[in-house]
Amino acid sequence: MTYPLLLALWLAPLASAVICWAFGPQLRTRSGWLASGFVALSFALAVASWPAGTQSAGGALGAHQRLFSWGPGFDFGLLLDPLSLLWTYIITGVGFLIVFYSIGYMDGDRAFARFFAYMSFFVFAMLTLVLSDNFVGLLVGWGLVGLASYFLIGFWFDRPSAVAAARKAFVINVVGDVGVMFAIALIVANVHSIGFSDTFAGAATFSSGLLFAICLALFIGAAAKSAQVPLHTWLPDAMEGPTPVSALIHAATMVTAGVYLVARCAPLWSRNPEAQLLVGTIGGLTALLGAILGTAQWDIKRILAYSTMSQIGYMIMGVGVGAYEGGVAHFFTHAFFKAQLFLTSGLIIHALSDEQDIRRMGGLWKRMPFAFWAMLTGVLSICGFPGFSGFFSKDEVIYGALQHGHPWLYAVGILTAGITAYYMFRLLFITFLGEYRGEAGTPHGHAPAWIMNAPVAILVVPSVAIGAALMIGGDSSPWARFFAPLFAPQALLAPSPAATPPLSEGLTSVIVLICVAVGFAVAWYRYATPVAQADAVERLRSETAHMPPVLTNLFYVDAAIDLIFVQSAQFLGTISGRVVDPAVLDGAVREAAFSAGWLGAVVRSFQTGLVRAYALLLVAGAAGFIVYYALAGTAH
Amino acid sequence: MIVLVTILLPIAAGGLLYLLPREDRERSRLAGTLVAAATFLMLIAGRDQEWSFRWLSRPFTAAFHFGATPISFWIALLLALCTASAIAATRVNRTRDFTALMLMLEGTMLGLFLARDLLVFALFWDLMLLPVFFALIGWGEHVATAWRYFIYNFAGGLTLLLATAAFGVIYGSTDVIGRGGAHLVGSWAPWIYAGFAFAFLVKTPIWPLHTWMPPTYTALPPPMAAVVGAVQSKAGLYGFLAIAVALMPVYVTQYASPLIVLGAISLIDGGVVALVQNDAKRVVAYSSLSHLGLIVIAIVSTNQLALAGALVYIIAHGLFTAALFILLGYVEEREGTRSLIRLGGVAWANPRLAGALCIAALAALGLPGLAGFVGELFIVIGVYQAGYVWPVIVALIAIVLAAAYMLRLYQDIMNGPQVEDVPVRRDLTWREGLAVAPLLAALVLLGVQPSAILASVSSVTSGAHAAASMEAQR
Repeated sequence: MTYPLLLALWLAPLASAVICWAFGPQLRTRSGWLASGFVALSFALAVASWPAGTQSAGGALGAHQRLFSWGPGFDFGLLLDPLSLLWTYIITGVGFLIVFYSIGYMDGDRAFARFFAYMSFFVFAMLTLVLSDNFVGLLVGWGLVGLASYFLIGFWFDRPSAVAAARKAFVINVVGDVGVMFAIALIVANVHSIGFSDTFAGAATFSSGLLFAICLALFIGAAAKSAQVPLHTWLPDAMEGPTPVSALIHAATMVTAGVYLVARCAPLWSRNPEAQLLVGTIGGLTALLGAILGTAQWDIKRILAYSTMSQIGYMIMGVGVGAYEGGVAHFFTHAFFKAQLFLTSGLIIHALSDEQDIRRMGGLWKRMPFAFWAMLTGVLSICGFPGFSGFFSKDEVIYGALQHGHPWLYAVGILTAGITAYYMFRLLFITFLGEYRGEAGTPHGHAPAWIMNAPVAILVVPSVAIGAALMIGGDSSPWARFFAPLFAPQALLAPSPAATPPLSEGLTSVIVLICVAVGFAVAWYRYATPVAQADAVERLRSETAHMPPVLTNLFYVDAAIDLIFVQSAQFLGTISGRVVDPAVLDGAVREAAFSAGWLGAVVRSFQTGLVRAYALLLVAGAAGFIVYYALAGTAH
Repeated sequence: MIVLVTILLPIAAGGLLYLLPREDRERSRLAGTLVAAATFLMLIAGRDQEWSFRWLSRPFTAAFHFGATPISFWIALLLALCTASAIAATRVNRTRDFTALMLMLEGTMLGLFLARDLLVFALFWDLMLLPVFFALIGWGEHVATAWRYFIYNFAGGLTLLLATAAFGVIYGSTDVIGRGGAHLVGSWAPWIYAGFAFAFLVKTPIWPLHTWMPPTYTALPPPMAAVVGAVQSKAGLYGFLAIAVALMPVYVTQYASPLIVLGAISLIDGGVVALVQNDAKRVVAYSSLSHLGLIVIAIVSTNQLALAGALVYIIAHGLFTAALFILLGYVEEREGTRSLIRLGGVAWANPRLAGALCIAALAALGLPGLAGFVGELFIVIGVYQAGYVWPVIVALIAIVLAAAYMLRLYQDIMNGPQVEDVPVRRDLTWREGLAVAPLLAALVLLGVQPSAILASVSSVTSGAHAAASMEAQR
């Protein structure tokens, strides 16, 4: 079914980006309202497209709109099916709230309009990624979101740290891009098409080695974009960008593109248990490492960044082991509660005039009760407090790992849940309890407070309640029925999960809750008891001093990457550029041409000559050449 | 006839320009831009036209035969566009004389790309060296650079001429470019292929024959560096496509391995050296070494998709290289230096210049959505399809390197705190902006819809490809 409305949905944010970019100086603060309006329009169109996206007329699921073709096999189009519809809702819905919030957060910045041009461009790029019906379109979106991320991380480009973080993020994301590119080469060589439907139809004929190679190449892309170990190092640095950017790009949407890719390619992964094991393991590992690193951070945004890394690890683990609904569900709830957490941290940072170190916060619940309650609900949701959204989706992922026969990943998921409770409550307690430990300046900007508070208040609703509304009832829940056409075993032509696992879903929830309670209790004991609050300054100083070096050095992953890749490339370049080129290659030719014999003498005699002499000689030579051939030609 | 006029017009106009007063910067620039723009339109008008004049009949037949082939049409358009942009952007001493050289460069290169006869091709191969040589002497810093450029390329021209003569004697005619079905086989043919290939590899250039290139590009004034780096370097690649692959496909396939190895070395070597250069122009020069290595790999793989990708990448590389050299020229004019260590924060006072340089750099690093990406994608697909896996991996590594050095180039110039003591601090003028706008627009356009260029390769190489696959079956 063709569906031209998709074009409007897709292009509205691009229009906004172009207008904000071209007329920034004229628009000034109005650019924020304009961008919000266009993204809201996109969201409204997405809501209106619900029936089109979920219908299945004539065997094809969802709505499809042809765009153009580069040649045989290279057809481009847009596809709106339940999976892309869900992502579109988050991108435009949560995206609208964050863009709106930015009107307040960015107030007074000297590049206000440029910010909204980039944000709109990001929304367009992300829609390109999720709406494409083929791998090349996906890769275009993949690259463009990386570009938007680069622009926004380096938005304050007078800061050297922001510039370096932006470059690092972009280069690591290009590693992912070339992974996807290689996957496309493998796919086109075998199915002679870039379309999803052709690829998935042809997947039945792929050998398992080829399938594994395609999945691996795609997963390099997913790992780079979604900050999976060992390509995660850019994400914490990306917090150099303004906080709304962290909320939209580096929490809710772009970093979950890897989850989208694996879920989209479920027909490939379901056929290859080795690829599933690889992705599930990397996801579990990332969840655990992110959580561990989250316990050792002092920057409020970096804590949230490691928590994002950890939560995406959950999602990747879910879609990796084959629990697609669970992984996607966790993306959905995470988008709400993590955006809420980031925007709340933005409220704090804004109020404390760009202070981000939680050691210099404390006692903020008295000054900022709204931020406290917003942060508390977000923390309860991410920890999986029963009834909150995170509870349902996280349990689905953890239990899914067991269901699909990965008891180790199941255990890692449970352990990570406990650590998550510890570091999130640590963040909450250090920030809001006790006495204030910093010296706050006055906040910049004069926008009314409701512009920033309203989006946070709206996000609280889904981060508390959407899980209970959609995800209760197992296979007959609204969530499961929504995705049944895509992810049900019969839809994937994959074997059903193994026989009933040894532990029931209810028991799993209880175990997870016990772990969460332990994590909470440790955080409470260390930071929230009256004694700890009274002694906070000394305790935080001592904790800083006694932090294990392996944690402060982030498991040495950054250092290893720098040594193995960056420094070795620079070393090679220096050797080649300074030694090989001038001394060896050019030197050899110079020896042969200049120093030896008559040519050297001729050339040396010319070095003193005039430009005219060279000119004359060369023109004479060329003319002689022409005359010779002209005469030779007319000779008969 | 329009074809002949297209070639002669810029050469004649270059001569006529000397009628203007020596210091008349504005009018010589305007006239030069208009002439180059006119050749652009005439190329489109004369797309299907040919012009021929019999010249030799013994020992082989040769003709002054001109006319665009589907491949050369695009490269000639690129040339006219780059020349127009570069002349419009010119700001050098003795503008009149420089513009005249630019027009003569365009004319001689049009002669090369539109030549349908190998001997005419070889003739223009040498002629197009002269304007660059004079510019290096007149506007460069060291005469040695001019001689290095000339000796390397003239050595290539020599083997090209020998190979052409041998081709003519054995095949009986040199009037063969763009003629379907003309194939050279025999015991001498590999040597003839080697003669062509050497000339093409020097011109492109490919490691280890590239050492003339960085000093040449650095010494030339930005507008001519733009045309030489963007289009003259494509003469070798065009030769590979229109002569080697079309006329001697069997030997291209047979001797592919050494060229693939050299291409792969160029890919990585150019990338890592570009990573540590501190002269902005040298970064672009070494990036060219890397990118053009990829195109050589694509061409000698003789896979249809790879060849299509190669042509798109030839055009894309021309567009972004020309844009980069022109824009770096603007930066140097404003800041008085090209050193990435000394530059910084230019974007604060020059947001439009920063935006333009950003687009060019992104195209060069293969951002999806711009033309460079299309070329890289098709090359990667095609080379993999042809059965070469490790060169694909090398190419992918080089793409990551490209991201690193292009971002370094952009960020070190544009980002960071503003540098004090700068000669001029004003953003792009209308003239400067209009000069690069067509190049950047073309990069976006071809990034979205490249099918016209992708399709034009099959018409020329399908016959060659069939011959190569027949040979492979034997």
